[in-house]
Amino acid sequence: MSTPDKKPMVGRRAPLVDGIEKVSGRAMYTADLDHRGALVGRILRSPHSHAELLGVDVSKARALPGVVAVITGDDCDKPYGILPIAQNEYPLARDRVRYRGEPVAAVAAVDQKTAEEALRLICLEVRELPAYYEAGKARQPGAVDLHDDRPGNLEREIHHEFGEVDAGLSAADVVREESYDCAEVTHVHMEPHAALADYDAERDRITLHSVTQVPFYVHLRVAQCLDMDESRIRVIKPFIGGGFGARTETLNFEIVACLLARAAKGKVRIKLSREETALTHRGRPRTGIKLKIGMTREGKLTACACEVEQTGGAYGGYGIVTILYAGALLNAIYDIPAVRYDGYRVYTNTPACGAMRGHGTVDVRHAFECLLDTMATELGLDPFKVRRLNLLEAPTRTINDLAVESYGLPECLDWIEAASGWNVRKGALPPNTGLGIACSHYVSGAAKPVHWTGEPHAVVNLKLDFDGGITILTGAADIGQGSSTILAQVVGEVLGLDFDRLTVIANDSRITPKDNGSYSSRVTFMVGNAALQAAERLKAVLVAAAARKLEAKPEDIECLGETYRVAGGQDSGIPFKDVVSEALVDTGTITVKGTFTVPREYQGGKFRGAGVGPSMAYSYSATAAEVSVDEVTGRVTVDKVWVAHDCGFAINPLSVEGQVQGAVWMGLGQALSEETRYVAGLPVGPNILDYRVPTIVESPDIEVKIVETLDPGGPFGAKEASEGALSSILPAIANAVHDATGIRLTETPLTPDRVMTALVKQERAAKQANSRGAA
Amino acid sequence: MEYLPDFDLLRPKTVDEALALRRENPEARLLAGGTDLIVNVRRGIVDPKAVIDINGIADLRTITSPDGGGLRIGAAVTLAELLEDRRISEDYPALCEAAAEVAAASHREVATLGGNLCLDTRCLYYNQSEWWRSANSYCLKHRGDVCHVAPSGKQCFAAFSGDLAPAVLVLGGTVEIAGPNGGRTVPLGEIYEDDGAAHLRLAEDEILTAVHLPAAPPGRSGYAKARVRAAIDFPLAGAAIALRQEGGVLEDLRVALTGTNSCPILIAGTDRLVGETVGEEVAEKLATMLPKQIQPMSSTFTPPGYRRKVVANLVRALFRHLTEAP
Amino acid sequence: MAKSILRLTVNGSGREDAVPANMLLVDYLREVAGLTGTKIGCDGGECGACTVLVDGRSRLSCISLAHTCAGRQVETVEGCATDGRLSLVQKGFHEKLGSQCGYCTPGMIMAASGLLRRNPRPSEAEIRAALSGNICRCTGYVKIIEAVQAAAEGTT
Repeated sequence: MSTPDKKPMVGRRAPLVDGIEKVSGRAMYTADLDHRGALVGRILRSPHSHAELLGVDVSKARALPGVVAVITGDDCDKPYGILPIAQNEYPLARDRVRYRGEPVAAVAAVDQKTAEEALRLICLEVRELPAYYEAGKARQPGAVDLHDDRPGNLEREIHHEFGEVDAGLSAADVVREESYDCAEVTHVHMEPHAALADYDAERDRITLHSVTQVPFYVHLRVAQCLDMDESRIRVIKPFIGGGFGARTETLNFEIVACLLARAAKGKVRIKLSREETALTHRGRPRTGIKLKIGMTREGKLTACACEVEQTGGAYGGYGIVTILYAGALLNAIYDIPAVRYDGYRVYTNTPACGAMRGHGTVDVRHAFECLLDTMATELGLDPFKVRRLNLLEAPTRTINDLAVESYGLPECLDWIEAASGWNVRKGALPPNTGLGIACSHYVSGAAKPVHWTGEPHAVVNLKLDFDGGITILTGAADIGQGSSTILAQVVGEVLGLDFDRLTVIANDSRITPKDNGSYSSRVTFMVGNAALQAAERLKAVLVAAAARKLEAKPEDIECLGETYRVAGGQDSGIPFKDVVSEALVDTGTITVKGTFTVPREYQGGKFRGAGVGPSMAYSYSATAAEVSVDEVTGRVTVDKVWVAHDCGFAINPLSVEGQVQGAVWMGLGQALSEETRYVAGLPVGPNILDYRVPTIVESPDIEVKIVETLDPGGPFGAKEASEGALSSILPAIANAVHDATGIRLTETPLTPDRVMTALVKQERAAKQANSRGAA
Repeated sequence: MEYLPDFDLLRPKTVDEALALRRENPEARLLAGGTDLIVNVRRGIVDPKAVIDINGIADLRTITSPDGGGLRIGAAVTLAELLEDRRISEDYPALCEAAAEVAAASHREVATLGGNLCLDTRCLYYNQSEWWRSANSYCLKHRGDVCHVAPSGKQCFAAFSGDLAPAVLVLGGTVEIAGPNGGRTVPLGEIYEDDGAAHLRLAEDEILTAVHLPAAPPGRSGYAKARVRAAIDFPLAGAAIALRQEGGVLEDLRVALTGTNSCPILIAGTDRLVGETVGEEVAEKLATMLPKQIQPMSSTFTPPGYRRKVVANLVRALFRHLTEAP
Repeated sequence: MAKSILRLTVNGSGREDAVPANMLLVDYLREVAGLTGTKIGCDGGECGACTVLVDGRSRLSCISLAHTCAGRQVETVEGCATDGRLSLVQKGFHEKLGSQCGYCTPGMIMAASGLLRRNPRPSEAEIRAALSGNICRCTGYVKIIEAVQAAAEGTT
């Protein structure tokens, strides 16, 4: 490893390896790429919520001068979807449209004006069907099924019970039940969706540049929908402006761009507007939660029963995974002897929901931490005490077979208790200000991949050539979270080399090894481990070369990065470049590969649905929020957040802080102001004015404490850092609002109108109580 | 390329030139900061054949102190310029506070006083894309014949959402309007109508050129706004108050609101409170005057009940603040 | 659509281009001048990703017509560096991690540069106010504020 006088690569607060491109304006995002000669692609979207598609007349559009290609559902009869078991979506609707905004046809034209004009010339003939915008309505008897193979509009129903729940509830001193309603939210990555597809008619090949987090899955689905061999397709991910889960599955416009390019026999660029990006959103579904918790007088949990209903939208997407996560991660944070989970994922006539940061866990964690706080208050127990009484002890295996190998929640709680001044400030704050806490956790990569092919979970290639530069080749998508930087730090640490010798090349399917992509917080853990192994293998090659050159045994060689020498010897050793020259003798360019596979014992239990939830490592977070509530407007302001996050080991503490702050802040938006609402299936605010992403003005300072537990499976002990903390801020805020005002809101977001309604209700109740008291 | 319809861009140098262009191009729209107009053009709710950029008219861009006292503020003075002018921050705090609450810093660099006063009314069924509105059969305000907010009626309930108008109203401001037959100067309130589809009583060939504020009255003024985020958002409701008290007795009181109706509302009857001793009781009396004079509707997805309640709260709190010792 | 000549200065160099009346400043910069650093993040005036400086003041280029900038000095993120080296604001955003995905970054950098030119030692509240129209979805803004503070102190 590093010499004492050299800065270690891991644990270093390193700016991003691609940061200079970003701040200089040189970073090329999909819409910035050279599109000379590209046609403009535009998509016609259904104005109907639910209708049989009887005809799509494109004859007038085709006849318009300047229109090169017009395609409809007839041009692709292959359904797609992220999960092999739930592929029920077509890139362009066939036979039926199921939500307002669903793509029905697409045109490629010489310019935007012509493309828009062509869309206006397309006529739809439909027979309207009843539409359902809420889960409850879609589940009512007699409702028309959106999908023929899903009666009752239930995409998936789950009934899991671990331990003896009824016995646990009977044994409790206090059992409380509460219902929560969390609004649908969406990612609002700053870069609107875009794709550039280039079809080579001579060779029958296609190159797609797209905004994806999962180039590999896009590759598969494009091949499937275009009925082309995968080898004829090349997928490149340029710089992308955020993802947060929105881009973790193949999206319709990516396939449409390829279909259009092939139909037009050329290059097509599609840029979606912000509104269209919202219609393609795959956000967190509206979630109804009925939660029951049993507790002893002292605060020990005895059992929990949870029913969850998600308004999933019109297509499968990740829906089954979302509804499974919601139940699975009731576990692995506290020691709960018995847990029952009933989950319902429901099809509705709204744009399909999908994965969003904290996938599946956020709303349920919110409910759990709120009810825990409610019960603690009722029992007169300190919220910290209740949580400490129910901690896990790692290593352990949960009742639903999740393996917890490292667990920093106790340290997280200690830090936020001290940092927030809880013991002196709680209860002593001015009127209408309050403190609240909550905890959360998340997986470090889903142990079971979406496609089980027997391949490793991650592969990293390293190339070393005559120039002495090391190229790290990875399919892991850097979406701004800094994964390329992390991989460079891991490789540099093993080889003792600094950034100037390292270059990361990512996400070109012709060049870089396949990777499953950036989701479920898998990259640092899985791809990091693969990079670690690749670097160790390269180091072995270099050490062997140095041994030959120094005429010593490899085990006696000491690698100092820029110098290799015989350990303990007087010699100053030989420089890295000489070692490289020796290593290249007879072999030339060196390529080594590292892989990582999650061992079978971490891949979950044997019950149906056991594949979602297992991970080799879980991150843990505790968050304290200080809020003030304006009685005049009902507005909640978060004045300060303290968050401690157990990421195992911070390979890049700067980056970990940034990820944790970003996660907490995104949760804060969901807690306070963000919601996707529909009027008759049309989103009310498909823009950043009415979908209220917090501005810099009301966003609080977020102080981060990194807790390091050195997970035995993680690269250098690292676990995930960008999702886990999100879930704890919602309940921390809600609990703080209770502390400030005495009101408990069970809906999110806590918008001024909801707060005001609750305050008025509380005031009325107090008046009534007073008048009763007086009488 | 973002898709904008074709239009001519006309750039007059004087008000007279602008008036002439207005006459020649009856379907032209005036462009000042563009924070409302260009957004609406991009949404397809405005399709101008010509756009008259009034930023080059020097007379519209100055703040002057006329001999008779008070201030004349050109209609194309930006909110950023307004905020940097000490005469306004010292003598007309309500206007300054209102300007500071408009949208965000970069909008205020170009958004103008005249633009904010003439801001188009807003509604969740109206401020949407062409695709969205067409999927919803359009609405009374644009291309349709039903108001989705109140489907049984024949009135448009889009809400006036400018922040500055209530401030100008309580400060007794008048507006200077240039037209083909010379100019006219009228109290600001006279240019509005409580009709979401036609809330401005300005003829197509008229241009609002300036706001006159009377000599700063003794007393205090302020503006308070309800919104979800601390920046960018239009008001869910906003209230401006100007008042004067002497020895704890109210001598003058004016209250105006925004966000509650299709035009800003100068609350009638506040003169009845003159002579009363300031305190909670008079604040309460003031609040009880509001409900009959306002009509928030479901034009935002924040419920009208909230806007009704919060505007009363804002008025009470602002009144309290302005009557407390500074 | 008929075009007319637009003369203006972009990043210090005079330009003369035939530009249609309905062209937005952001499209002029990206498609005509080839400066793709300025981003489009919304359908008009909602996010600030397109912020540039016009005569030193913040301007949302996605709701500005190019021709209204005739004769003006327009600055974009590409013009910030001197001799290929990052400006203090750019350096601040890079080193303090004020930029994650980088998409809002050019707009943030321009708004912050405009602020520091007028007010070289802004308070935290002044930084927040100046960036109030710039939405970032990655950072939670904490490190953006640190980046601007670092640039102001010139200590990065």
